Amino acid sequence: MTAPTPAALLDPEAIRRLRELDPSGGNKLLERVVAAFSSSLDRLLPDLARARETDPPDFAVIRHVSHTLKSSSASLGATTLSARCADIEAMVREGRTQGLAGQLDAMLQDIQQVRTALAALL
Amino acid sequence: MLPTGQALDDLPPRPRVLLVDDDEVNLLLTAAALRERGFEVTEAPSGSEALAQLSTRAPDVVVLDALMPELDGFETCALLRATPGFESLPVLMLTGLDDEASINRAYQAGATDFFVKSSQWSLLDGRLRYLLRSSRTRLELERSKAKLARAQDLARMGSFEWRRDVAASFAISAEGLRVFGRGPQDKLDFIGVMRMVPADDRHVFLRLLRDVVAHTSVLITDLPLTLPDGRQRVVHIEAEPEFSEQGAVSGYTGILQDVTDRRQAEDRIRQLAHFDALTGLPNRRQLIWRVERAIESARRGGHEVGLLLIDLDRFKVINDTLGHAAGDELLVEVGKRLRSCVRHSDQIMEGVLEGLGNRSHRGLEAVGRLGGDEFVALLPEVADERDAERVAQRVLDAMREPIFVGGQECFVTASVGIAIYPRDGQSMADLLRNSDVAMYAVKSQGRNASAVYSPQLAGHGKQKLELESALHKALERNEIVLHYQPKIDVRAARMVGAEALMRWQRGNVLVPPADFIPLAEETGLIVPLSEWALKEAARQAKLWSLQFGFSDSIAVNLPSRLFERTDLVEHIHQCVSAYGVPHRSIQLEITENNLMKDLQNVIPSLHRLNEVGVEISIDDFGTGYSSLAYLTTLPISEVKVDRTFVRDLGITPQSSAVVTAIIALARALGLRVIAEGVETLRQMEVLHRLGCSLMQGFLFSKALPADELERWIAQTVLPRKAPWITQADGSQDVVRGQR
Repeated sequence: MTAPTPAALLDPEAIRRLRELDPSGGNKLLERVVAAFSSSLDRLLPDLARARETDPPDFAVIRHVSHTLKSSSASLGATTLSARCADIEAMVREGRTQGLAGQLDAMLQDIQQVRTALAALL
Repeated sequence: MLPTGQALDDLPPRPRVLLVDDDEVNLLLTAAALRERGFEVTEAPSGSEALAQLSTRAPDVVVLDALMPELDGFETCALLRATPGFESLPVLMLTGLDDEASINRAYQAGATDFFVKSSQWSLLDGRLRYLLRSSRTRLELERSKAKLARAQDLARMGSFEWRRDVAASFAISAEGLRVFGRGPQDKLDFIGVMRMVPADDRHVFLRLLRDVVAHTSVLITDLPLTLPDGRQRVVHIEAEPEFSEQGAVSGYTGILQDVTDRRQAEDRIRQLAHFDALTGLPNRRQLIWRVERAIESARRGGHEVGLLLIDLDRFKVINDTLGHAAGDELLVEVGKRLRSCVRHSDQIMEGVLEGLGNRSHRGLEAVGRLGGDEFVALLPEVADERDAERVAQRVLDAMREPIFVGGQECFVTASVGIAIYPRDGQSMADLLRNSDVAMYAVKSQGRNASAVYSPQLAGHGKQKLELESALHKALERNEIVLHYQPKIDVRAARMVGAEALMRWQRGNVLVPPADFIPLAEETGLIVPLSEWALKEAARQAKLWSLQFGFSDSIAVNLPSRLFERTDLVEHIHQCVSAYGVPHRSIQLEITENNLMKDLQNVIPSLHRLNEVGVEISIDDFGTGYSSLAYLTTLPISEVKVDRTFVRDLGITPQSSAVVTAIIALARALGLRVIAEGVETLRQMEVLHRLGCSLMQGFLFSKALPADELERWIAQTVLPRKAPWITQADGSQDVVRGQR
């Protein structure tokens, strides 16, 4: 049904817990979660892009986006992405802007990979 | 699906969760996880939406994401707490793992607990159930505290505590403040409480308190105080020491209760126990106590005590004619007057008299009510019996003025019996008995006087007293019986009726009527006795009609006071109806003297009785001074020639002249004549010759018990065996011959 998922991208334990919530798949929970994740990305990523364009960047938006993605990606088992979001959130909270841009770029890359992996999951 | 490993206990089967998270993914997953674990989940994507949800359906618990755009979790929580009804709704705040600041803010905003987001759903499940359970427990605790406060309020009870070695260490609960007449916000310290206590009681209390604290003992006392609004209250206080873990006394905790009502009730009970409710005078019990103390004191002091027993004369008559309410009124007034005759002291005394000085027995002096119309005056020290007689005279004088009760003036007199300690008795019981003997002596000598006891009085009085008391019980013990003396028509030699005569079978002794009827009349017992006799006669008439076809009447003697009762006709009606015999089965006899004494009062009854068929017979006829004019108007059927005339028949010519006159008169008025006390054949013969054939007397038969009378009829009358029958047969010829 699906291609093998790169282990580093999605934690199989998290996916197993996800599937457990809807063992028969009757509620199409996995699909709905992935769709919700995807729609929230569609909402958050343009906000993020706009926040980075201003000078200085809108740190509140960056913090909100990273915070939201931190927990939702963790729920999906995207541990690398979640960890990176946590890092970004902490940097913004503590006012460490050095290297923030690089981290944000890396986060966008992680997101792309997670999206691919999630699509493969369905 | 039921969650595994989770006991649902007392929680609702599907606890309702309001889940608030702006992140769709988390909202979806958390909701799914909680639903799977048995919760009913409502999702809200923002704080404002969550608050809107609350008003439609209240959840059991709220799970709130801390960080949300616009209204964040803290603000939402604070708003929720400010909403009435949600002050104690459990709220679980979801925070990040590394977010210590959020945790503190969560508590400040009123969150019940925080929870670090995790996809370990069982942890969230467990936390929520714990929250629900503790919230339920807290709710119950609050309810039970409210109940306790309400119960304490109702019981006018509160609590207080006192901590040792702490400033402002005395604290009273809100309920306790109310006991002291203060509101929950008022400040009341120990000194404030003490200010309400009267100085004397305060000193006693503080001394007690010092003592209690010094010995680490329990404090139990009642404290009288005056509240700020002036009300006098009594507060009961109980406190126990509290100990620290090291075993040292750390303070006292206790309860206080307004026991004013109880104290008043206790005082009232004490009052009732010692004082007569009607007159307010000391009652029998208090009197006994006082007399006993007076005797003790007299024994030590070597002086004399006077006891006066005061009994109202004919009080029963007042009670019977004016009613009990008027009787009570009269007793109250008599009580007041008697009180003024002595140095009356109302003080309740239960303890010892020591310490009041050697004149203290003077304080025992009082008038009390023994019961009914009997009063006692106690004179704790008299020089001699003349002292007591002077007080007795004062009592008699005090009664002289009429008493206005029941709308009319009553003249009341009293009979006073006096007994002196130690001469007339060594104990209360002896003195009371002997004053009673003296009082009875006064009664029998015409009342309205006093007498000092002497042993000579005792013999007669005692016997009479016993007789009266026994007579009271005679009716209920079935000791009263009716005997029947036949009325004979000698012409036909047959029985034409019977007179019922009361007998008192007292043990083995048959008490003759002369020995108890006067007493019964004096005490009023004659009324129930007569009523009983009417009923018994009706019963016997029925029995005889069944046994030998008896269809005549049984005559019952009634005193005039019974004829005065308006219910006499009704009573007779009930008696005859009860046994199914006609009214004429009962005949009533009233003596001529009785009749003439109360003629005006008796006549209406006579008419009514006559109308229903009850015949009236005039007893002892010829002994009184009947107005012949009256006799013609009275509805009577029979006159009974008095036995004194019969006795002298054939001996003195006057007697036969009287009898002849009576017979002539009766004939003229259409009345029957019957002669009483016929004992000899000669008397019978003369009566018969004079035209009187109805007779009664020992010649025929004495009064017999009902069954013996039946035997007498069967063995004597029917076989025509008695000498008076043959004689009567003979004299009939004489009569016939004369005609």
